[in-house]
Amino acid sequence: MKPDIEGLKAIVGKNNASDEIADLYVYSSDASVHQAMPSAVVRPKTHEEVQEIMRYADKNKIPVVPRGAGSGMSGHAVPIDGGIVLDMKRMNRILDIRPEDVICKVEPGIVNDELNRVLRPFGFFFPPTPSSGNICTIGGMIGTNASGNRAVKYGATRDSLLGMKVVLANGELVTLGTNTRVEASGYQLARLMVGSEGTLGVVVEATLLISPLPKYRAMGMVNFSRLEEAGRAISNIISAGVVPSMVELMDNVAITAVNKALDLGLPDVAAIVIFECNGMVKGTVDHDMESIKKICEGHNGTGIKVSDDPGEMARIYAGRKKLFPSLSKYREGLACVSLADDMAVPISKIADCVHEIHEIAKRNNVIMSAYGHCGAGLIHTKILMDPTKKSQWEDAKRAVKQVYEYVHRIGGTTSGEHGIALSKAPSWKEEKRDSLEMMRAIKRALDPNNILNPHKLMDAPDDWTTATALRYQVKGA
Amino acid sequence: MGYLNKLEQEMNTCIRCAYCFEECPVFNEQGWDSDGARGKVILSYGLLSGEIEPSRYIADKLFQCTCCRDCVERCPSNVRVVDIISSARADLVDAGFASETHKYVIENIKNTGNIYGDTEVTSPVREGETPLFIGCQYLSRPNKTKRYIKILEKLGFDLHIQKEICCGFPMEILGFRKDFEAHKEKFLKSFPYKEAIAFCPTCTVFLKEGYGIDVKHIMQVILEKLPEADLGLKVTYHDPCDLSRGLGIIDEPRKILEKLGVEVVEMKRNKAQSGCCGGGGGILMSDSSLSDRIALNRIKEAMDTGVDTLVTSCPTCEQVLKKAAKEIGEREGKNMVVRNIEDILWKGLKKGGK
Ligand SMILES: Cc1cc2nc3c(=O)[nH]c(=O)nc-3n(C[C@H](O)[C@H](O)[C@H](O)COP(=O)(O)OP(=O)(O)OC[C@H]3O[C@@H](n4cnc5c(N)ncnc54)[C@H](O)[C@@H]3O)c2cc1C
Repeated sequence: MKPDIEGLKAIVGKNNASDEIADLYVYSSDASVHQAMPSAVVRPKTHEEVQEIMRYADKNKIPVVPRGAGSGMSGHAVPIDGGIVLDMKRMNRILDIRPEDVICKVEPGIVNDELNRVLRPFGFFFPPTPSSGNICTIGGMIGTNASGNRAVKYGATRDSLLGMKVVLANGELVTLGTNTRVEASGYQLARLMVGSEGTLGVVVEATLLISPLPKYRAMGMVNFSRLEEAGRAISNIISAGVVPSMVELMDNVAITAVNKALDLGLPDVAAIVIFECNGMVKGTVDHDMESIKKICEGHNGTGIKVSDDPGEMARIYAGRKKLFPSLSKYREGLACVSLADDMAVPISKIADCVHEIHEIAKRNNVIMSAYGHCGAGLIHTKILMDPTKKSQWEDAKRAVKQVYEYVHRIGGTTSGEHGIALSKAPSWKEEKRDSLEMMRAIKRALDPNNILNPHKLMDAPDDWTTATALRYQVKGA
Repeated sequence: MGYLNKLEQEMNTCIRCAYCFEECPVFNEQGWDSDGARGKVILSYGLLSGEIEPSRYIADKLFQCTCCRDCVERCPSNVRVVDIISSARADLVDAGFASETHKYVIENIKNTGNIYGDTEVTSPVREGETPLFIGCQYLSRPNKTKRYIKILEKLGFDLHIQKEICCGFPMEILGFRKDFEAHKEKFLKSFPYKEAIAFCPTCTVFLKEGYGIDVKHIMQVILEKLPEADLGLKVTYHDPCDLSRGLGIIDEPRKILEKLGVEVVEMKRNKAQSGCCGGGGGILMSDSSLSDRIALNRIKEAMDTGVDTLVTSCPTCEQVLKKAAKEIGEREGKNMVVRNIEDILWKGLKKGGK
């Protein structure tokens, strides 16, 4: 059923609901390869409005897809069954900051970096640090359990979330979790919402744990001529009891890309590892940096640079920071496509996994670079391909499948931080095959009419290439 | 979609991450995804692929862009967003969706060589060594122009000025590319130089990019020659997008102000990340209320610095920010004086050395 646009306008105001084809088209895609048109876009301002929309949608069995910035890479906010896209960005107030309790309460549409700008004068920050923090919303971060380059020290969104208010599919408002740091017994329902990708409820308020801003920070960079040695060094750093705030790896494809695009003059080695430590006491930070340096030297790491000067640290990180643009301009005619974009593996298997990704890319006529927050066992890739050619999609499909088969074989998981939605669902369903029914039972219990972001995760189609239209125009063979 | 056709690869380079939302002035004012730069790239792609048809609504969305290049600055994939938007506009204009006010401006240029259709304007013609391009905005502000010329002459420039016609930038940015093709030849006849100095940031960028002329903005050529002065002012400086993001002219105006004894207190968004004034990309003509709201945001940001004077070096920024400052002054009783840097230069030169 097509939503009644006038009815929706009556709930949120006439300027906050649209069924204009241009708006529907823009909201039909996110940062993934997927595209599907909604029938209406609605921008609520209050939880009461969300409740009213949900009551209406549930009664009429109209799909509703919550959406933050739409920066998900696997099709999270793409309305595969049409219906209403609920753009949550107007619900962006910070409701309370309580440094004495190290918590804050926010609405879901607040952007991560904006929250951090407001927390800074209090001497605090919200620790998950996604690269997309400049635009992604707290609601989206809860939806995907986002994390970032500092996950190695601070964990993911899950680890900084205490409680929330959620509007369920039938419009009911429930309070989950707590305001306290600990909570024993009972189903951890707030946690169930984390990573549920908008399929179980609409988060309308979140209570977040905040951390004091560290006073000192130092960063280092080391080259490895063999990938295995970089992998072993990372594994040893983590198991040695040092707690770095960042351990990033760039493979040779990544190094070549940034050198080509930015002329950074990085050495043409198998891998570069960038590490960072932070804390309240300079001596501790220096000590940890020294320990990491020694471990890297022990694994034949060369050209080690360490600095606590902000300018020098920015220079060290420049290549990693600009990796994305460099990849997307890697070669004329190739686009940087979000596929097999993340995975997590046991830390000891990082080097093997990066090596295998290169082999799989070669076998399938695409280019894949591996990089990421390797201190947390997290690897990112992108597929560089010609998205206008049908054969390249077949190549990409094989590559994605093979990558995840390998990841599962070595004890890894399909997504470390970006989430599943559509393009990772076929592989993820393989990984989770014996718990899919349990997930479906939970979904049925909370959303019997299957209206909240339907056909994602465990219910996503088995072939991502045909799950929705592709956002690229595929023309020739 | 003849113009967008050439940019398919560029649009495929866009990974749709939405980093361009962060400080997009139109997105921050209106809030729909279709208002942000990513939305406009998606709409352009839809027009090219044929998934959406040209319409008034789409044209309005695509013309609601100040072309301030903040998106280009932030894009992790270096996508040429403004090229995409101006090409989409060109295709929409060809499909019959030009705005009436824009048509009026283009007719003015065609008929009079001046964006305002101002037949009174006269170029202060003189023979000399260094070609100077004044631009429509300054030509229609003869007092300012006279002073700017005097400043340059005082600093020892032997200027060559001849009768000017518009550089044609409005034709390009408003989508009247066919008209621009015809205009280009006329312009090159009127301004047949390989090197020049220019007053207007937008003309400077366009003479470079549209014609390949090695043109320097006045901010780039006066610093060395300028005598020190001690004006004892405290101001905030608004970077015009065409100077800061377009040409990387960021330090020069600050150094000039410093040399004249003017202290600059930076706004929250400054230099290459400067906030938008709301005046560019044609919205001043087609959606002045949106333009006003963006300018008001910028003036409020200037007020947060605690100083009472904003200096800028672009006539469009000056015009829209002055209007916004006046409105806030009348509404809230708060004062922010908006001045063109030329005014400060003039005072500095009059005061002479320290
Ligand atoms: C360039 C780039 C870099 C990235 N870097 C990182 C990174 O470092 N780490 C990382 O973890 N991710 C990263 N991502 C992925 C993405 O940015 C994150 O998943 C982010 O948290 C999504 O937030 P969003 O606001 O864009 O949400 P959307 O993409 O709009 O939505 C994501 C999911 O959350 C659900 N959702 C949104 N709001 C609500 C709500 N209020 N209630 C219930 N469900 C909701 C949606 O239904 C959807 O399923 C990156 C993406 C890009 C494009």
